[in-house]
Amino acid sequence: MKTTVVGAFPKISDDPGGQELRRALHRSDRGEIDAAALDAVFEAVTRGAIEEIEGAGIDVVNDGEIRWDDLFAPLARAWTGVSRGATTTTPLDRFYDSNTYFRQPVIEGAIRTNGQTLVRDYRFARSIAKRALKAAICGPLTFATHARDRHYPTLEERTLAVADAIAEEIRGLGAAGATLVDVEDPAVVALPQHIELAREAYGRLAAAGVPIALQTSFFPADRVLSALASFPVAQVGLDVRSRETTALGRLDAFRGKTVVLGIVDARNTRLESVSEVARLVEEALKLVPADRLWVAPTTGLEYLPHDVALKKLAVLVEGARAATGAGAPVRVAP
Amino acid sequence: MNEKILLTTSVGSFGKPEYLQKARNLHARGKLSTDELRELERKATTEWIRIQEEIGLDILVDGEMYRGDMVAYFADLLDGYKEGGLVRSYGNRYYHKPIIAGKVSRPKPMTVEWFQYAQSLTDRPVKGMLTGPYTMLDWSFNEAYPTRRDAALALAEVVRQEAEDLQAAGARYIQIDEPAIHARPEEIGIAIEAMAIVTRNLKAKTVSHICYGDFAAIYPAVLELPVDQLDLAMVNYDYRWLDLFDAHPFTKELAIGIVDVHTHELETVAEAAAGIRKGLRYVSAERLYPHPDCGLKTRSVEETIAKCKVVVEATKVVREELRAKVPA
Repeated sequence: MKTTVVGAFPKISDDPGGQELRRALHRSDRGEIDAAALDAVFEAVTRGAIEEIEGAGIDVVNDGEIRWDDLFAPLARAWTGVSRGATTTTPLDRFYDSNTYFRQPVIEGAIRTNGQTLVRDYRFARSIAKRALKAAICGPLTFATHARDRHYPTLEERTLAVADAIAEEIRGLGAAGATLVDVEDPAVVALPQHIELAREAYGRLAAAGVPIALQTSFFPADRVLSALASFPVAQVGLDVRSRETTALGRLDAFRGKTVVLGIVDARNTRLESVSEVARLVEEALKLVPADRLWVAPTTGLEYLPHDVALKKLAVLVEGARAATGAGAPVRVAP
Repeated sequence: MNEKILLTTSVGSFGKPEYLQKARNLHARGKLSTDELRELERKATTEWIRIQEEIGLDILVDGEMYRGDMVAYFADLLDGYKEGGLVRSYGNRYYHKPIIAGKVSRPKPMTVEWFQYAQSLTDRPVKGMLTGPYTMLDWSFNEAYPTRRDAALALAEVVRQEAEDLQAAGARYIQIDEPAIHARPEEIGIAIEAMAIVTRNLKAKTVSHICYGDFAAIYPAVLELPVDQLDLAMVNYDYRWLDLFDAHPFTKELAIGIVDVHTHELETVAEAAAGIRKGLRYVSAERLYPHPDCGLKTRSVEETIAKCKVVVEATKVVREELRAKVPA
């Protein structure tokens, strides 16, 4: 069993020395520092995030998505046919129930990409990480349902065009050495009515030939759980902690897939006890063998203050060790 | 002249003048006393009341010169809350997301003196401005209550106390904002139950502002929210919420957003007037209140004034049209 993280890590901390990025962005806005100086701060903060995640004892890390304003920003900035709402209105909207806001990508033409959007950042993270590193990208249904579309006539066409572009990015990441890509796609569980459209989109992603982890979050996966079990992905991430869900008792549906279980709540400061975490792991191990179970926070830790985020990682690691290390019932799934 | 139609108002917050922003920074660093800060907040409030009168708005607000954030302001004054660490809201903006760490209670009134001060400066009605219990819950970390409903109902009790004190102080309009009401559409029942606690003893006109998010997901259920008036962002959504009213008639008064608060660009009077006319297809002029989409605290003082002027000018245009239709 492995521990991992999902999504974005806090970009700043409450410590006096923990706010370089915030200051650098302000100075960049005022034209006081150039792009290279800002870039150096992004790199330093990314390095710090990777080191902190590894320092907490997490087995499979990501780069903390420090450069991303929101899930859509890196793609909306790079892709042809998409802008980041710089036109007449600047559409800002709330990302689900997070009280966190994002700029709606505006689709103004056919979406095209060279597939290199995330490669430079992946290579940088690769040069820092001492543990296994995974890449990450926004999911097709989440992108398609949060964009303003002035080009594609239907949600179906939009979603599949976005999926093709994401597949191209995944190909690029694979060529750069990525062996696992998190596809963060809460819309798959938010909009169960579109599950078959999502399946078609993930078929396009799978064609890129790089193992992918479909990371859901924010909503219970109950209504789409059986469908997700047959998606063409290597891993499925599920939140079994922050809301009522039956998923924990149905994990045996995921035959052959790795289940990434969100077991510490990344959206509440209340800290789980080691035994609370261990109990969830023990429950999961009744239905999923340890070599196909990873555990993680329920979503990106950026929804928490930095100090709490670190405490959540610590209790995740301790709880996982308590469940697997001390004679916990480890069984092979039927 | 019939000025009882299309009464203009605003959502609540205005931009803080530069001297007040500086003073707040100095105060945060311990370099300015609380008394000195309060004096400047009163000065800015006075200025905003004068400006609103000059622009010609009908129902005024105090502009919230004394608030940083609509949840943190109350959290700071309530027992049971503690300040949380910094969390990003968007771009490079961060806020201290409050933590419900124990049973919440209200040691003393939180907004009544500000209401009284603002109302003493004008003959026009000033709205009492509160944040609703569901939004207080949703925008806080809840460490203390076993369920979200428990926390929302406990918060409703303290908001009720404040609302009743505002009414006793003479508030004719009490606005209880619920911008997070659609955060989890399946919880709309909790938001309604909590609001019923807040408004059950109120005779004042009650208003609730809702913005961002998927309004369609809570419509028509939101018509059960026990307030007289819903106050909705519309421009930011291309007025698409109005389409919902075709299937299920809108039954409350409507404060309709006719200028966007997120853009520096200024709408034309014609564009804003077109927005009012769209609203009139669903709500009568006596029950329609033109205003900006949302609070204007992220806009500069100049932009705020310009946007509010467009609201008033557009309203004059449409009032004139309505008058021309009805023979005197």
